[in-house]
Amino acid sequence: MDASQAEREPATADSPSLGQQLVAQMGEITRARIQDLALANARANLPAIREGQSLKALRDMEIGEGDKAVVIAAGPSLHRKQVAEQLLAADYDGAIIATESSMLYCLRHGIIPDLVVTVDPHPSRIVRWFGDPELTEADLQEDDYFQRQDLDSSFAKALRTNAEIIELLEHYGPQMRIAVSSSSASSVVQRAHQSGMQVYWWNPMYDDPNRQDGITRTLQAENGLPCINAGGNVGSAAWMMANAVLGKKRIAVTGMDLGYYADTPYRNTQYYYEALALAGEERLEEMYMHIYNPHLEQWFYTDPAYLWYRDCFLQMAEHARCATYNCTEGGILFGDPIHFTPLADFLAA
Amino acid sequence: MSDLLKGNFDTAKPVVDNSEDGQTLEQRFEKEALKKLGGSIAFVAKQEVVWGDEDAEQDD
Repeated sequence: MDASQAEREPATADSPSLGQQLVAQMGEITRARIQDLALANARANLPAIREGQSLKALRDMEIGEGDKAVVIAAGPSLHRKQVAEQLLAADYDGAIIATESSMLYCLRHGIIPDLVVTVDPHPSRIVRWFGDPELTEADLQEDDYFQRQDLDSSFAKALRTNAEIIELLEHYGPQMRIAVSSSSASSVVQRAHQSGMQVYWWNPMYDDPNRQDGITRTLQAENGLPCINAGGNVGSAAWMMANAVLGKKRIAVTGMDLGYYADTPYRNTQYYYEALALAGEERLEEMYMHIYNPHLEQWFYTDPAYLWYRDCFLQMAEHARCATYNCTEGGILFGDPIHFTPLADFLAA
Repeated sequence: MSDLLKGNFDTAKPVVDNSEDGQTLEQRFEKEALKKLGGSIAFVAKQEVVWGDEDAEQDD
């Protein structure tokens, strides 16, 4: 069934749908999935961290003109709304912070981000955004995560794109800064170093840093790095850095859909196989939540992970000392205190 | 099931049921699927940055 044809029977608080039940558990599910791996990566990265620079160094740098920053994430609206073209046409000179997943998009459009951010500890997927010199057709057959999704549809032509990003980074890498999380896989760290990027290390928070015997505090005692609340995903981490590290006061996010356009088939969503395993073909619809965006007067749908990201982001934005503008022009990230506005208006202000 | 299916030979070694905690195949399938769900990293409420040095302000 196409997502746009799905019935939109809202689940009630008394009878939350399967997807809504999972949103409530998403923090715990994430912890169970990534924490051990992330901490093992942090231990393996210790020699490189000790020889490298801390993210603290960026506090003293003036990055981008003025108090504006634009975060570029890799949601489907990035292409649909021609974010790069708009930035170039406006001669935007504020800071540009990109997720690693949008690095290829930026470089293809002649934009060298002021800072790239990476955080996910996945051992084989994240390195693909950097170009994986070891990538083979067998790997592609084994994991079709990128081909299915519309994060960057060109990954469907995976091997060719892989060679392209390797070449682009070989050329532009030395001009780029990257905030590499201690949780990153060795393959990612290796590619960042190989391509000559300027690496700045940081820790994602795992628990309340005020707990002296907590994981976050223990990790910081081991490697001495600043700990940043990454908000569940790399886009939110990039936004957090724009404010809390670079000190920007007006921050626009782009490509941060946290959902799918209504005409996107379920098969092209990030957790399609898992949704299928949990709900089965006949109950697949229960895994997804349909959300009406009143700013755009348009329906989108989302999955439990993206809806959890949205909840986390809204909480973080509420406490932030900056104004946040969602200039994605699509998706489900809206609500107080976010200003939902076209990118053109943010750039003109 | 053991009441219905009876072998017509004795196994050389005793057969042990390895199913996890009596879980059905469907439950095990769901458990494996759940392991692959989730976000990229943790979220910690009401926190921004802890720099970890004395001279910098702690933001939280």
